[in-house]
Amino acid sequence: MTPPDALPLPDPARRSVLRAAGASLALAAAAGCDGAPAEFGSPLYAPARGADAGPRSYATVLDLDGFGRGVMVHTRGGHAIKIEGNPRHPASLGATDIFLESAVLGLHDPARSRRLRRDGQALRDAGVFTTFLAEQRAALAARGGEGFRLVTGPIASPTQRRLIAALLAQWPGARWHVHAPLADAAAGVMLPLPDFARVRCVLALGADPLGPGPAQLAWARQWAEARRAGREAGRLPALLVAETSPCLTGAKADRLLPLPPAGIAALARAVAAELGVAAAAGATHPEARGLAAALRAAGPEALVLAGRGLPVEVHLLAQAMNAALGVELPAIPDPRAAPEAGTLAELAAEIDRVTHLLILDANPVFDAPADLDFSALLRRVPHSVHLGVQVDETALSCAWHLPLRHPLESWGDSRAFDGTAALRQPATRPLVEQAVAAEVVLARLAGIPGDDQALLRETWRAGWGEADFEARWLAALEEGVVADSAPAPQALRNDADMPTPAPVPQGLVAVFAPDPNLWDGRFASEAWLQELPRQLGQVAWGQAVLVAPQDARAAGLTDGAEVEIFISGRTLRAPMLVMPGQAPGAVTLPLGGGRRAAGGVPAGIGLDAYRLREAANPWVAEGVTLRATSGAAWEARLPDQAMAGDAPRVRRLAPGEAVPPLPPTRSLYPDWTYPGAAWGMAIDLDTCIGCNACVVACQAENNTPVVGPEEAARGRMMHWLRVDRVPTGPEEAPSVDFQPVPCMHCEKAPCEVVCPVNATVHDHEGLNLMVYPRCIGTRTCSNNCPYKVRKFNWAGYAREAGAVPVRNPDVPVRPRGVIEKCTYCQHRIKGAQDSARQEGRALRDGEIVTACQSACPTRAIHFGDINDPDSDVSRAKAEARNYALLGNLDTRPRTTYLARLVPGA
Amino acid sequence: MSEFSTRPVSDTPLRSDFGWRFAFAVAGAGFLTLLLAYAVVALLLQGTVLWGTNIPFVWGFDLINYVWWIGIANAASLFAVVLVLRKHGLRTSVNRFAEAAALAAVAAAAIYPILHLGRPWLFYWTFPYPATFQVWPNFRSTLVWDFWGIMSHVVVTGLFWYTGLIPDLGTMRDRAAAKGRRGVARIYGVVALGWRGSVRHWARHQAAYRIVAAMVLPMLVSAQTIVALEFATTLVPEWHQARVPLHIVATGIPSGLGVVLALAALLRGGLGLGHYIDDEDMHLLGKLTAAAALACGYVYAEGLLVALLEDQVTRQAIAARAFGAYAGLYWGGAVLVVLVPQLLWLPALRLRAIWVVPIGIGAAAGVWLDRFSLVTGGLLRDHLPRVGPLYAPTVPEWTLLAGSVGLFALLMLAFARFVPVVSMYETRHEESEADVP
Amino acid sequence: MTRPGPIGVIATFDDPDAMVAALRAAREAGWRRLDAYAPFPVPEAAALLGVNGARVAWIALAAGLFGAVLAYGTQWWLSVQAYPINIGGRPLHALPAFLPATTIVGILWAAAGALLGMLALNRLPRLHHPVFAAPGFGRASEDRFFVCLFTGDPGLGAWEARHLLNRHQPLSVAELEA
Repeated sequence: MTPPDALPLPDPARRSVLRAAGASLALAAAAGCDGAPAEFGSPLYAPARGADAGPRSYATVLDLDGFGRGVMVHTRGGHAIKIEGNPRHPASLGATDIFLESAVLGLHDPARSRRLRRDGQALRDAGVFTTFLAEQRAALAARGGEGFRLVTGPIASPTQRRLIAALLAQWPGARWHVHAPLADAAAGVMLPLPDFARVRCVLALGADPLGPGPAQLAWARQWAEARRAGREAGRLPALLVAETSPCLTGAKADRLLPLPPAGIAALARAVAAELGVAAAAGATHPEARGLAAALRAAGPEALVLAGRGLPVEVHLLAQAMNAALGVELPAIPDPRAAPEAGTLAELAAEIDRVTHLLILDANPVFDAPADLDFSALLRRVPHSVHLGVQVDETALSCAWHLPLRHPLESWGDSRAFDGTAALRQPATRPLVEQAVAAEVVLARLAGIPGDDQALLRETWRAGWGEADFEARWLAALEEGVVADSAPAPQALRNDADMPTPAPVPQGLVAVFAPDPNLWDGRFASEAWLQELPRQLGQVAWGQAVLVAPQDARAAGLTDGAEVEIFISGRTLRAPMLVMPGQAPGAVTLPLGGGRRAAGGVPAGIGLDAYRLREAANPWVAEGVTLRATSGAAWEARLPDQAMAGDAPRVRRLAPGEAVPPLPPTRSLYPDWTYPGAAWGMAIDLDTCIGCNACVVACQAENNTPVVGPEEAARGRMMHWLRVDRVPTGPEEAPSVDFQPVPCMHCEKAPCEVVCPVNATVHDHEGLNLMVYPRCIGTRTCSNNCPYKVRKFNWAGYAREAGAVPVRNPDVPVRPRGVIEKCTYCQHRIKGAQDSARQEGRALRDGEIVTACQSACPTRAIHFGDINDPDSDVSRAKAEARNYALLGNLDTRPRTTYLARLVPGA
Repeated sequence: MSEFSTRPVSDTPLRSDFGWRFAFAVAGAGFLTLLLAYAVVALLLQGTVLWGTNIPFVWGFDLINYVWWIGIANAASLFAVVLVLRKHGLRTSVNRFAEAAALAAVAAAAIYPILHLGRPWLFYWTFPYPATFQVWPNFRSTLVWDFWGIMSHVVVTGLFWYTGLIPDLGTMRDRAAAKGRRGVARIYGVVALGWRGSVRHWARHQAAYRIVAAMVLPMLVSAQTIVALEFATTLVPEWHQARVPLHIVATGIPSGLGVVLALAALLRGGLGLGHYIDDEDMHLLGKLTAAAALACGYVYAEGLLVALLEDQVTRQAIAARAFGAYAGLYWGGAVLVVLVPQLLWLPALRLRAIWVVPIGIGAAAGVWLDRFSLVTGGLLRDHLPRVGPLYAPTVPEWTLLAGSVGLFALLMLAFARFVPVVSMYETRHEESEADVP
Repeated sequence: MTRPGPIGVIATFDDPDAMVAALRAAREAGWRRLDAYAPFPVPEAAALLGVNGARVAWIALAAGLFGAVLAYGTQWWLSVQAYPINIGGRPLHALPAFLPATTIVGILWAAAGALLGMLALNRLPRLHHPVFAAPGFGRASEDRFFVCLFTGDPGLGAWEARHLLNRHQPLSVAELEA
């Protein structure tokens, strides 16, 4: 394979991630004064009508894979500072994920594209491009758009689809190509809409409904509700998972089968045969009988799902099994589906006929399959234009690059995974002067006048009619969803012919998978996500090839070593991780890393698996060999949290069982009393899916700095909240628990006693306070904290440019040399108390929502006043599942956990 | 009695030329002390980011070296005090520089608790003064105990050294005057506080000296114990043991004795003081060091055996320290502190600097390894699994250590240069008593 | 103008025993204002002059107790009275935790009390004293022993002193001028 094209980028110097333009600092400073500036006042903006979102929140929608998720954007002084979920939006339900949380970071990224570029060089004067566009448009119009090609990602936006349709109608010779590196053709054009809340047994064949994706928040909420109902009814839903590489759904599985893709297909056939699917008759698998029995017991309340990257056969078998079980699975046509659009491979085939190429918010130079060699193709196109928020690899390879407006600065619309439409409104004025909206560019090419707001209104005026347009427009903006816009679900049709099973590949296969933090690579420029330890593997600032323990032993490879991967003539060097639970015979190559131009993030973080991917078989590559190299891998990695022989830190109970009480301890000291409120937290480990949303939400809320790859490798990450991964059981198929660990706010806090200067003390409501100005940095408190939740500012991280690009003015930024830790979002407590006092009423339960609690898709985090026996948190703590982590130390933590329920535990 | 018996001692500081070896030593120590200054300035400008520390290994060389230097200081002081209180003959020859070594070690130790802070310039907040915050120190904190401990350690060790030095400073004044060096005589005269050798003064001086010596004894035990309590009062399983103070106090002794022994051998050779630090003294010192090392062997064995009686977490923690990632430090310490000094039971070895100096320094290095093992290896097994990578010292930390060794050496060289290295009045006293038939 | 008479007579000995003998004779002869100087402690001589270290010990004890009470009182007052605050749910008055500082501050005061008490009782520092003018007194810090009889009491003048000291074979006898 040829090495990736050299790009005119500076070498990644030490701590380069933080060395970025200082514009963000000015922004952050300005965020200190409240009140929206007058020049973009209420006519433009419709403050959210949502529950407790406050007067300066705006409902809008952000896309992932072309599907919208509704959010509330909290602003201060006109600046977007925090993303919260929109409870009214079906793809959010009030929760967020790590991608949504990091949107404010992308908005304020000092390294985002600010200038028009020609051949990679920034231009001051945007006029050249206007002239160029006018000339080329005239030339194209003359020949009916012949030679013009548009490349976009998957699009469900009604307005963008309307404009593209208008463009294609105007220029019959033009063509649209959709490039979606994570799209799976085998899944078909009908989107199933399972309701996990009503399901009693799920068989996930390589599917990861609890893992990241456009529907994760909804499905995880439904699953959590099913768990809650099941706990109350004493009948827990069963989750049976066959997966190739460990994912979040597998971690919550009752039965986990690590299998390579061909093994999953064989299992699917055998289970289908057991369930009486004619097309699969005769297939057998040792596990099939048990799985089929469990499914059959649930009957119509069962569900079989097939996941990304599996052969069409498995998807069809899943449908057939659902049909055999009597499952009524509603489905809608994929709103992103565009039969008129071609693929990137088709574009490649016709490249010599292309004179004009407009690449809209896509990065094919980076994420196109390697055998297309897209950057070489691009050089053969006379006029190429790229629109993007970042100066990415494609921006630098195209003749022209235009800065695109960030979704938080522009108007638009979107459809959710269930088809519900939502309007996108700017939450802030455009931060980049030259940036344009994608809709405006499409409209200009199509010869339609108007700005992005006008174009959006035009779309919906056509849909709603004139009569009550303004009322519906305002309602849609205020609520963040367009009422009754979801298409009616249809029954999933199952008329395709069952293909013959593919031959089982010999030797090792490689499975490509989206990276849980970087996704397809578009989030590689978000430092929060780079520094977030991945749920499985605990790697930050890097990626690794995942290898099963059996395969690693057989090949003599050691954990953390660098390996060279050979796939059909292409090679890649990458660190290797021995991953318990990885299917033997398959290695997993995470996509999205190794970006050569990812804004302020140093180049080359992670591995660029797209270099090994082929257009023909994008998900599974056969004939893989691994070879150890002499090089040493470098990455920041946290140790796994397994430990034998301890009192279990994550308790597992059988349904109906109670946590055994600790032997009573008698403190030598009299108890302090907390006569007013007493804040406490309960975290439900039964519903925690380890999605890390709380970690990023905490980082965004509390101005937690990013420390960069070098410091992270030294173990100096600053997260106030971490999610520990606790594997148990055999290495081949471990059962994994996730345990979020914030400050426990111990009543008998060991950290406070050892502080020489009273920098950490208790307040009258039992909060364990950290007084930053008083801290002299002895770090003794961290030594004495058995939970290790205290973080130390080894350097003045927060004051390094780019470390805290967006700043919450309610939370102080900590200087060098002081300890910091979770405060239970004390500023939110004080804020709620203040508004209750101003309104002359008592504080309501649930009025105070911590950042982590607000983000949680499964509502696993309960917070409130434990002195009030009727509060949500008191009821949670009253459950028999409630226990304190390291309760034997008698530190009396205010944060407690609810045990995970496992049948037969 | 022999006339002018202490002249070589008193005239040594009055020599104008100390020879190239002394100049070379001063240059070396001065260079290392400059390194210390460099390391301190770099630390103040950039912060603890320069070190290899992290969560959970929040302490590295800062605390390792602090505990180590305090151990040396304590053992050297303890040795001097016991000699004074028992009026042992050896005191005349080694007391003075044992005290000086203790003082220099305390000075080297005292820089660490300040520099280890995240914000060293605020160290005085541990002192109860009425600050604008209106908050006082937290007197429950071991670190506040430690603040008092270090302060008392510096002051009391200094008092002990100075009290014994006053009459000899009078001698220096008179010798300098006799040699016509009035300026030098004036300086010695001021610091001698006008000592004129009145027998009344002697009576009260001797009482005061012995009282200060007696005070040093509990001060040493409590100061060293307070340092140990910084570990023992935490919830860290390996540290949270009642035996930690005993271990720290006991293993400090061979390191301090080892340093005194090595210095004695060097002074005998370097300054030609063989008459004052005679063979008998070397034998006694050597045997003491070997005996102290033997006692440490008991402490080490007890530390491992006690693990059998502990609860599971503590047992695993002790095993992790002795056999985990930092096992080399633990066993290296045990070998250098316990086993190697046993060679000093061989009389022939005790008189040969080439053996004595490495063994003595080795004992000190062994205790340093033991402190390293405590501060890092003790954290390997906590109540929850470790959240960060292992600790390894960085170049700035080594620089700081080298710098503190330089400071110690420079103070010792200054001591040899400016004050009599042997207690002259004690020597005279001893010799006058020896004259009595 | 007449010079004042000598304030004392000082004799040099090369042996502590001779010094003690001269001292004893002077005490028996009724001398009250006298002193002896030696390069090392001579407890017999101090006993003859009626001096011992007991007062130093009492001063050290008092200082130590005062320091300990001060330390404990400070900790108690500042923690319980001046700024009571909930620290880790522990009681405000933390007796065991206050003891280490109490002990060590008590020791600090006792040691300082011993040195300062000794200096105060010895009326030191006093950089100038008439005996320094005595010929050869520089060797009082090396190998010579001196007895000085101060004149002024009735019937105990310079002549009597010289007469008494000369009986003990001094190396030399000299008069001290004021």
